[in-house]
Amino acid sequence: MPALFSRRATPLARSVLLAACAAVVAVPSFAMGWVRTPWARGEHRHITQPVPFDHRVHVTGLRIDCRFCHSGVETTAQAGLPPTQICVSCHQRLWLSLPPMSAVRHSVEMNQPIAWQRVNQLPDFVYFDHAMHVNKGVGCETCHGRVDETGDVTQAAPLTMGWCVSCHRDPAPHLRPLDAITTQGYQPAPGTSGTALMAAYHVRRLTNCTTCHR
Amino acid sequence: MTPGADNREFPEGAAIRPDGMPRRDFVKLLGASIALAGLDGCIREPDQKILPYIDGNNGVIPGVAQHYATSMTIDGFATGLIVESHEGRPTKIEGNPDHPASLGAAGVFEQAAVLQLYDPHRARRVTAGGRATTSQAALAAFAPAALANRVGATGAGLRLLLEPTSSPLTSAWLDRVRERYPSSRVYFHAPLQSAAQLDASRQTFGAPLLPRYDFTQADVVVALDADLLASGPFHLRYARDFSTRRQRPPRAELYVAECSPSPTGNVADNRLAASPTVIARLLASLLSTVAADPRTAARAIAVDHSASTLALSEAEKAWVSSAAGALLRAGARGVVVAGERLPVECHVAAHALNAMLGAAGQTVVYNASPIVGAGEPSHDIMALQADLASGDVDTLVILQGNPCYAAPGNVPLATQIKAIRNTLYLGMYDNETARASTWHIPAAHFLEAWGDSCACDGTESMVQPLIAPLYDGRTNDEILSVLAGAPDTAHALLRQNWQRRYSHVGDIGAAWTDAIQRGLVMGTQPPVTTNVRADAVVPAHRALIASAQAAPSAGTIDAVFAPSRAVYDGRFADNAWLQELPDPITKLTWDNAALLSPRSAQQLGVTSGDVVEVSVGNQSLRIPALVVPGHADGVTSLAIGYGRTGAEAIARGVGVNVNALRTSVAPHAAIGGRIRGTGDHVELAVTQGHWTLEGREDSVLGITPPPAPSDTTPASSQPRKRRPLTLYEPPAPSSAGFGADQWAMVIDLDQCTGCSACVVACQAENNVPVVGKDGVLASREMHWLRIDRYLSGPPETPSFDTQPMLCQHCEKAPCEYVCPVDATVHSDDGLNEMVYNRCVGTRFCSNNCPYKVRRFNWFDYNDELTPVEQMVKNPQVTVRERGVMEKCTFCVQRVRHAQRDADLAGAPHTGPVQTACQQTCPSQAIVFGSLTAPDSEVAKLSNDPRAFSALAEEGTVPRVRYLSRKRNAGA
Repeated sequence: MPALFSRRATPLARSVLLAACAAVVAVPSFAMGWVRTPWARGEHRHITQPVPFDHRVHVTGLRIDCRFCHSGVETTAQAGLPPTQICVSCHQRLWLSLPPMSAVRHSVEMNQPIAWQRVNQLPDFVYFDHAMHVNKGVGCETCHGRVDETGDVTQAAPLTMGWCVSCHRDPAPHLRPLDAITTQGYQPAPGTSGTALMAAYHVRRLTNCTTCHR
Repeated sequence: MTPGADNREFPEGAAIRPDGMPRRDFVKLLGASIALAGLDGCIREPDQKILPYIDGNNGVIPGVAQHYATSMTIDGFATGLIVESHEGRPTKIEGNPDHPASLGAAGVFEQAAVLQLYDPHRARRVTAGGRATTSQAALAAFAPAALANRVGATGAGLRLLLEPTSSPLTSAWLDRVRERYPSSRVYFHAPLQSAAQLDASRQTFGAPLLPRYDFTQADVVVALDADLLASGPFHLRYARDFSTRRQRPPRAELYVAECSPSPTGNVADNRLAASPTVIARLLASLLSTVAADPRTAARAIAVDHSASTLALSEAEKAWVSSAAGALLRAGARGVVVAGERLPVECHVAAHALNAMLGAAGQTVVYNASPIVGAGEPSHDIMALQADLASGDVDTLVILQGNPCYAAPGNVPLATQIKAIRNTLYLGMYDNETARASTWHIPAAHFLEAWGDSCACDGTESMVQPLIAPLYDGRTNDEILSVLAGAPDTAHALLRQNWQRRYSHVGDIGAAWTDAIQRGLVMGTQPPVTTNVRADAVVPAHRALIASAQAAPSAGTIDAVFAPSRAVYDGRFADNAWLQELPDPITKLTWDNAALLSPRSAQQLGVTSGDVVEVSVGNQSLRIPALVVPGHADGVTSLAIGYGRTGAEAIARGVGVNVNALRTSVAPHAAIGGRIRGTGDHVELAVTQGHWTLEGREDSVLGITPPPAPSDTTPASSQPRKRRPLTLYEPPAPSSAGFGADQWAMVIDLDQCTGCSACVVACQAENNVPVVGKDGVLASREMHWLRIDRYLSGPPETPSFDTQPMLCQHCEKAPCEYVCPVDATVHSDDGLNEMVYNRCVGTRFCSNNCPYKVRRFNWFDYNDELTPVEQMVKNPQVTVRERGVMEKCTFCVQRVRHAQRDADLAGAPHTGPVQTACQQTCPSQAIVFGSLTAPDSEVAKLSNDPRAFSALAEEGTVPRVRYLSRKRNAGA
């Protein structure tokens, strides 16, 4: 009687078993590793905006202050995107008829808002406050990266809770003087100490849950 | 053998359990749920869009709430409100501190009104004969061009039916309509309105006047079937005034005689359960006793002297003698209040008593009623019925209200309205009246409307919209302007009327802006001086004695019809917050019931939930009974407003419509009805079934039974220990993080009436969901703040205690030890934090909480909300999903916001923070603040001799402290 199983059956069965065992470890490991990568967090993910707005031109080229467009940043929780009128105030006689500006033109003519894609998205149970950060010495760059060097703005920081809390536990290294809040490529002046800034701006280590979750 | 249906051993489906899910499917689902649970976290949040404004100069700063003043009108009387709005959507209603009817407080109806704005069951379409049409077509049919053909040039065939109104604008436009159609007639109807009050003042003083009380000056208040602290047009103010007075020694005494227990009865020093007959008896003998006393000789009024023949029971005698004694001692600082819906003679007696005491002009003043045509026949439903029956009516215009539902049983208004050729109904819902009408135009909610109205004292209040009409709703004035042939928008109408009325004011623009900003026009009507007519009191007294002597025939029961404390007259029936709001006394939700005293129930052989048949005349209905200790014997209380049959999905089928038992002669009480058990039983969704504390009054309410008779100090004058004995030192307040503040709350049980305004405030502020009747029956209600109600003493004459119960923010919180995932932790500033995004739903915390204040989301209660319903949510508070525990946070969003503002302003201390419950409490029973703040009120109060912690023996060291109730000596 011929053998019921071929010669290769045993090693095959063994390797399948081995692979299954390995998968039990590898699949979760991979998943857990993956969520810790910038790709899983959406960092540097390209997002197409309705208007090909270029921060390089406005920030580096024209030296427009961040707060000119994001006017709520110093007083309210939301930094805010500029109303169409802010765009048009400069662009009325400049490029407005060109194709890249069609969404702005449409917004003005049809009285419809421009639907920007959100880049930095926090979960709904997180209550972040821009004013509280920029008034306490956390610069724009700290979370939003070098917007003066990027054409398309992408998510520059992990925006994970671990990342938030690392700074909330130890804010000192991340602080800068208030006059350098909007500075891009900030280098601390010699003698600037984070601890001194913490004291000067009454910065506290806020790690209570309800600081952000309500 | 071929397998066939006949010879199968087991029929198909035999393995399926009768309750639905087969066991195997259950196991499969269970396994799959566990295996896939982790994948839940792998879903990326959907991309969001940001839509900035086109023009930023509209006053809205994204993320910053705005507040506008407006007013809400119930039965013609306005209450001033401040409404919070987020990016153009109103989310929270609060009281207007400048408004005399509010003084910063808001009641349950006012606060819950915002939910009704976004009610998905509101009428959205204009209909003609049940078919959709355009509003232009509907309005064109009522413009003079078309209307005059039908009703005649003078409007002989035109009738209007409104709710009672005090609006100067509506009044002006009613005049314009009357000018255009001189033969038309206007009627007013509100099911709970009683003509007795105005008739009585006309009899007594010769003019239809409304009494208004000043409880800040009253030493003794005697209330007869008057729930003056929790219902009625001025109750928010009265509750504040009375609580202000009670904080000042000597303590004001409150005597209450009432049929069904009420929040006012809760705080009474001497409460007597009294049927309508007994109330007549009490008033009659009170009147004779006071009139016979030499102290009132100077202001003596002729009364009937046969009252001495009245046979009073011992309890009644005791009540009358102590109430009369207290009133006579207090003199002009005593006041007698007769409930709005008592008969005329009771009001006359109250007027006479107040006049004899010298209270008139002191603790009670009189005003002309701001209601248009108050006390005139136009407010009589019988006049309307007779008019409709005459057959001369071609066109009836009904502006709001729901007369087809709410008319008394002997007035066939629904049939009559159906028979009229052209009926226009302006109403928010496709309800009973809308279905009886030919034309239906959706009405605007008051948060969508421009208008005006007057408070009970005549203060002119502004109604301004917070949002454009969601469903193209119209206001009364807009319809009236169409009838008058000058259609315009409500805003334009209001401005024009304003221009006309205030043409004498120099800067009219500034006056308008000021009125809109404040929500009211300053300057109230001066009170009227009154003199009691010499011949008024004797007949009324005689009538009182007659009704007091009416001996009940055996086996009969009186029925008293009261507004529901949840849905009022049915207008709030589609409001789920209110349907689920436990009644302050009975704790009943999602239902009405025939309230019976324990003795009456025993005689009938029924218990709570047993269905009884109540008959009055030839009308009868079946309704579940609910036994309420402290209720008067021989009488049953029935709440109106339930048993709706319109298209409102929430209201439909909830409770029983008791309007059938009411008659136009006695719309508020039916004497000599019958009641019998039917043998049926239904489950009533009652949130607290147990009445007594089983001897633990000291632990829960901080009182040692029997209540120690003392004037201002509680049973023990020693301050109670703040912490239980422990080996450990209390932790020093940390100065790191938020530690500079230490948040705490003190609730004064002496001020709490149990009115439940705080419960709705909490629900609105914190996005608390409703669970429905089934959920309440399964004890799954979600209120973060509930009001526990306890009884002590004998069941016939119990004393009531109410206790707002919320998360106690224990310094040694039992919930925190047992959470396996640290989802509930303590903050540096003394808050017990609940972290929804960490919670996995073990419910260990709830099991370990001795106060049972934690609430679990058994289902995703917010899952199926339509985009419009979502608009009511407070954006500052997370909307919780299924499987998450939640509980009171001390309004942490408000705390953190105040801290942020103080921090940004560089202020050394956080400014005052008001929790939602504290802000709305009409009697200011709740104080919240930081123990470490300078001159901290909460720190002072928590060391008061009356302060105690609930269940202190548990060693939890709560941050909520209660102040025990005071009792008046000998009252």
